[in-house]
Formats: sequence, C-alpha cells, structure tokens
Amino acid sequence: MLNMVSLLMISIPVGFLGSLTGLGGASILIPLLVLLGIPVKEAIACGMVTIIATSSGSASSYVREKIANVKMAMYLEMFTTVGAITGATITTFISPVYLYFFFVAFLSTSFFKSEKPNRDPVSSEESQDKASRWLSLHGSYFDEADQKVISYRVQNALLGGGGMMVAGLAAGMLGIGAGAFKVTVQEKILKLPAKVASTTSNFIIGMTALAGTSVYLYSGLLNLTLIGPMAVGTTIGALAGGRVLNKLSYQTLQILFFVIIIFLIGQMIYKGIISL
Amino acid sequence: MSSSRTEAEASKFELAISYLLISGVITSLILVGIGIVLFHFHSGQFAISDAKAVFLREPNFFYFLLELLRGGRGQDKALWLITLGIAILMLTPYMRVILSVLHFIGQKDVKYTLITLFVFILLTISLTIH
Repeated sequence: MLNMVSLLMISIPVGFLGSLTGLGGASILIPLLVLLGIPVKEAIACGMVTIIATSSGSASSYVREKIANVKMAMYLEMFTTVGAITGATITTFISPVYLYFFFVAFLSTSFFKSEKPNRDPVSSEESQDKASRWLSLHGSYFDEADQKVISYRVQNALLGGGGMMVAGLAAGMLGIGAGAFKVTVQEKILKLPAKVASTTSNFIIGMTALAGTSVYLYSGLLNLTLIGPMAVGTTIGALAGGRVLNKLSYQTLQILFFVIIIFLIGQMIYKGIISL
Repeated sequence: MSSSRTEAEASKFELAISYLLISGVITSLILVGIGIVLFHFHSGQFAISDAKAVFLREPNFFYFLLELLRGGRGQDKALWLITLGIAILMLTPYMRVILSVLHFIGQKDVKYTLITLFVFILLTISLTIH
C-alpha cells in the first residue's frame, strides 16, 4: 500500500536513476504512480512541482562552475515558458486517455539522444548566423576530463528556439523535464558542446517547471501528501546520482537507460489501452 | 581591461544565482520534511490522502502567499509547513528571474534586459490571472 514513507523510499532510487540516465526523476515516477493507482493528471501535476527541486538543486553547482551558459538559458527560457504554460493548460482540459499515449510518444524520442557528443564546437565568428551573433550567444568552460578550456559559438538560435518551444510544451503537458529532448536540440541545432548542453538544459528545466506549475496551482491537482515525499526523495536521489555519474561506464548507463525506458513505455501503453 | 571586468561581474552574478537556487531548494525541502513528520504525529499515519484539505487550489499565487503568511485558511500546522515549503520552491526560480532582470539592467544590456523581462512578465501573468 502506497503511503508517504513508501513513496519517499521509492522516490530516492527513482531520483538516482533519473539523474544517471538523463531521463529525470519525474519521467520515471509518473508511470510508477499511475501503476500504483494515482490518477494520471494528479501524477503529472505533482511531477511538475518535483522538477523545480531536482533541477534547481543540481543546476546550482553547474552555474557556479560556469559550465551552464546562463545567458543562453535566459534566451531559451522565453520559448520553454510559453510552451510549458500552453502544455499545462491543455492537460487540465483533455481526456486522460490521450496523456498515456503522448507520454509514450515523448519517451520514445529519448531513443534519438545523441550517440556521439559534439567534439568540435564551432569557434569562429564568421561561421555564426546573424541571430546568434546578435544575441551574443557564445561562451567557454574548463573541461575537467580534457584539462583544457573549450570555446564555442551557438548556431541557429531561431530554429533552436522553436525546438525549445516544443520541449516546453511536452514538459508542461506531461509533468516532466523533457531533459533528453532539450539536450538533443541544444547539441544538434544549437551545436553546443555536450556538457554545456546538459547543464544548461538542467538550469532551464526549473523555470519551465515553474511555468507549468503556475497553471496547475489553480487546477486542484496538486496533492500535498504526494508532492512532499516526491520532492524530498527525488532531490536526494538526484544529488547522489550526480556524484556517481562519472564513475559508471557508458555501457552500464546505456543498458540501464534501455531497461528503464522500455518498462515505462510498456506500462503506459498498457494503462492507455485498458482505459480506452 | 573592460572585458575582464565584465567577466568578473558575470561571475559574481552566477555565484548569486547558484546560492539562491541551492538555499531555496534546501529551505523548501527541510520545511516539507518537517511537515511530513508532523503530519504523522497529528494523524498517526502516513497515508496518501485525497481529502480536500491536501489539495492546493488557489485563485492566485500572490494571494496564496499572503494567506499562507497570515497563517490563515484554518489548516493544521503540518500541511501549513508543507505548503510553505512548496511556495518557497516556486519562489526560487521566480526570484532567479528577478535577479537576472536587475543584473542585465545594471549591465545596461538592453537585449537581455528585454529577454529576461519577457520571461518575468509572462510568469507573473500566469501566476496572477487564471
């Protein structure tokens, strides 16, 4: 029987795995809550609040270490917040059946996450497009693994903004961070180095989640007895996950990722079909 | 000279954001944690409730904050602490936008003042009108 203690106990490993696989705690926790009998809309709304905690907690150190690009985050947040408010509003209206299938569709996009990280970011000003240059979107960070400073210049700022709007829409609708999708947009379209993409995405997720939560606050879906244990548990788990991430091999992480995502997709398809 | 000065300032700004985020999250989670323990003492159980009292349904975020600080709404202490924790959690990214707007105004960076102002206004509207 699910109670606050068992939910807290579930949330800690979920936050841990969410941080290791890059899926985020809420993406794993929402299907689990649905499996345990919590209504899907309630699980989504509470997931959204939980993300503010996990994202802000881990983003804090990325900003301090100057890996996350704060300026670029501010630019992209214009798009994710519009998307998230729209997405959350849609969720409060539509029939829950659709949400199961949207969730599955969106989780499936995580399969496309980049196999090869961007090794050679663009660094000459001439090759940058006008919009990106006008927004002065560039930066550099010190890479611990390579022991050198990596400089980069952002490409395709406008198209990237559009991609982030879609990410925000999905995040708001499904109560998740949509981290894998945001990272893909930042690496493939904006041409950011992998570490800048994942840390900046983490930073943006907190703001996107607040935008979504602002809608859910009026919907009567925010259950304090769910949010409390979820927020505390996933944040503890995520902080612990961040610490071991570098010690695990790439293969272990890939296997973990596939096992989890296949389980989640299967569970949501099952739920969707039986509620049709 | 001027470029290195800007870099140093940016770094101070980033430190401020970093501390704001981590202190907001920690404060919030401690309050929520204490709230959960108190909830157990009061009700003798840890059940996930679907009673009306455990659902937040607020007409307006700022009204919700005021009511919360007045200690009103006749809730018990445990739920009040959890709610306060959630409110602080929501305020954390909100304060981060305000801090960013002020920073870019200070830097006389018109583009980014407008960009951050856009996010701030949008969030404020979404938190106010529904």
